[in-house]
Amino acid sequence: MSNAPLLLGHLYPEEMNLYGDRGNILALRRRAARRGLNLEVVPIGLGAAAAELIPSCSGYFMGGGQDLDQDLVANDLITCKGDHLRRAVAAGAPLLAVCAGFQLLGTHYLTASGAEIPGLGLLPLHTEASGTRMVGNLVVTADPRLGLSDPTLVGFENHSGRTVLHGDLSALGQVVRGGGNDGRSGLEGAWRGTVIGTYLHGPLLPKNPSLCDWWLRAAAPRLDLPPLDDHLEHQARSEALALTAAPGRSSRWRLLGRGLIR
Amino acid sequence: MSSRDLRLMAALLGGRAAGIASRGLHLGAGSTLPGDVGRALEPRILERLGSSLRQGVVLVTGTNGKTSTAALLRAMAAGAGASVAGNPSGSNLIFGLTAAAMRESDWRGRIDRDWMVLEVDELSTPRAVSELSPRGLVILNLYRDQLDRSFELEQILDRLRLAVSRLPQGAFLVANADDPRVAELALGSEPAMVRTVLFGLRMDGEDAAYRQLPVVSDGRACPRCREPLSFSMVHYAHCGIYSCPACGFSRPDPEVEGRAIRLHGLEGLEMEVAISGAGATPVRVGLGGVFNAANVTAAAAASLAMGLSVERSTSALGGFRPAFGRFQVVFWGKGSVRLMLAKNPAGLEENLSAVLGAGSGPVVAIALNDGIADGRDVSWIWDANLEILGEVSDLHVVVSGTRAHELALRLDYAGVPEDRVLVRRSAEAAMNAMGRLADPNLPAPALLTYTAMLEWHRLATTAGPGMGPPTSQGRA
Repeated sequence: MSNAPLLLGHLYPEEMNLYGDRGNILALRRRAARRGLNLEVVPIGLGAAAAELIPSCSGYFMGGGQDLDQDLVANDLITCKGDHLRRAVAAGAPLLAVCAGFQLLGTHYLTASGAEIPGLGLLPLHTEASGTRMVGNLVVTADPRLGLSDPTLVGFENHSGRTVLHGDLSALGQVVRGGGNDGRSGLEGAWRGTVIGTYLHGPLLPKNPSLCDWWLRAAAPRLDLPPLDDHLEHQARSEALALTAAPGRSSRWRLLGRGLIR
Repeated sequence: MSSRDLRLMAALLGGRAAGIASRGLHLGAGSTLPGDVGRALEPRILERLGSSLRQGVVLVTGTNGKTSTAALLRAMAAGAGASVAGNPSGSNLIFGLTAAAMRESDWRGRIDRDWMVLEVDELSTPRAVSELSPRGLVILNLYRDQLDRSFELEQILDRLRLAVSRLPQGAFLVANADDPRVAELALGSEPAMVRTVLFGLRMDGEDAAYRQLPVVSDGRACPRCREPLSFSMVHYAHCGIYSCPACGFSRPDPEVEGRAIRLHGLEGLEMEVAISGAGATPVRVGLGGVFNAANVTAAAAASLAMGLSVERSTSALGGFRPAFGRFQVVFWGKGSVRLMLAKNPAGLEENLSAVLGAGSGPVVAIALNDGIADGRDVSWIWDANLEILGEVSDLHVVVSGTRAHELALRLDYAGVPEDRVLVRRSAEAAMNAMGRLADPNLPAPALLTYTAMLEWHRLATTAGPGMGPPTSQGRA
């Protein structure tokens, strides 16, 4: 049992917590605890004072947010947090960013009116606004170079932005079911070194323990992380995969749903 | 007879035929199809039917509590001597409202009632206000709900602002002072146009069900300046007594206040409804949960704004029967089940707190479906504080639905031991498992997403052995 706690820097927990992101924090804490590691969550909110907390953390998470908060967060990320985060990931700390958090890692966001909102520029990618939303279950086969013990990632996506990867930036994986970065390229998310961005929420880490363990390994490279009994996780994954594999299921509910939602 | 009248009559007749046909074919969505047909034949049908009421229309909106509050208000208005129409089936989009109005109308397009009280979906509210020119609008609360419908809270708030701006001159707006965003919206309305009646709860330390904000809360940021609000009391979800240390925005004093709330398990509650400058009226109602005390207060505020006697209105609640699937007790095998709709984090937490606060019994069921009507995205269960279930010893949880295993994983995270979680694929199997564990003298609580609630309701019967003839569904 190691006594020094592992510190998880949760970026903008008040502003960026839209889609069950709390589940991702719970998963990191719990899978650390099941290995005898104490993981503490350090909320890193808006402002320069909070930025000073960044260097002490072993890794970072940033979730999805409402549109209202995006400008606020983008501005704060660039002016207060950027240098600290760049240094941390250069030293090998993991950063996992979901949905709007993923978009903020890129160089810029192009709005429908053609305005460019700058991003953190941690990854060479940009996102363009679009009129249609990609909403639904999302299944991805992760890039084998990430070395995940189970490369099939399952979750849910809900975004109208279309993300374009530049140069040799690798996608997190190939889309099996769903839209992914842009609904066309078959690519989902992006990764470089210890930075991962993705549109998978749902939430991501409880249902994808291999990705959760990737984060923990990067955050605590010297510690031993033995495999865990994940049968409940596997049942939840199988259930989600079976539902996405059979688009014709529950057509009665869908008919009923259409009637109600109109 | 003018061609307009003929068109209206044709639309009513066509809609009625469509309703009969859809019921005959078991299409399931029969409560809105007549609305589709009616609107196709006469696009202004809702406006014309609405204007035929002797007094007018009152709309009830908000994330949680619409069905119960509208049912309470109908019962109150009837108690005060008014005749009232409504949409008790809960079809609350524009086609459902149209179908409900058509059902209440005679063949010439007249609704022979004083009032029509309709619950309406938040996003459909501006359109409903435009078409119906209501006498009043009730806004209950705003929570995260069905994010896969791609609307975030701020967008919903914008829609409700638009709805308020479209209210006809002299209309009333009943709004929840305890919900910061709803209060801010109401304070921003034009007083020369709209009469605002704020309602809220007053709870002393003793009867406060919740002392803390939910772990993931949308109500924490000040609606004026976005700084975190400071709460001195939380009544339910993010509703309570708050102020902003940064800009000074604070909870306004409500004109109608629910106070001295005493909960009697899930069976009912007693409270007082106080009107500022007037007296307080005692109320008893067969609904549990603090949030239902808020719903009663909202309905009382609306009946006051409608010019009805609050004393006569509230005294009618003694015989109130819960609306469809909202604390409604149904029968299954030798036992009974209390159906509780829970479709978003706030609803699930409120209902669970009510269940656990009532001493719950040995088993609770939760069913999670991911159909369109439930919300395809089930991420929200991770935002709900299910950890309160992990703190109760000797409680079994029966989980079912299309996402039963996701729920089982969530409960594992919440600290519920695996041997106390029973995963059942079908609603029947879940009800059987619950029946074996339940206290036969108490309705076993079942928290259900929308389509799961319909399944459970269909399988069960609305009257128990020796209870007399079944009551008509959803009529409160």
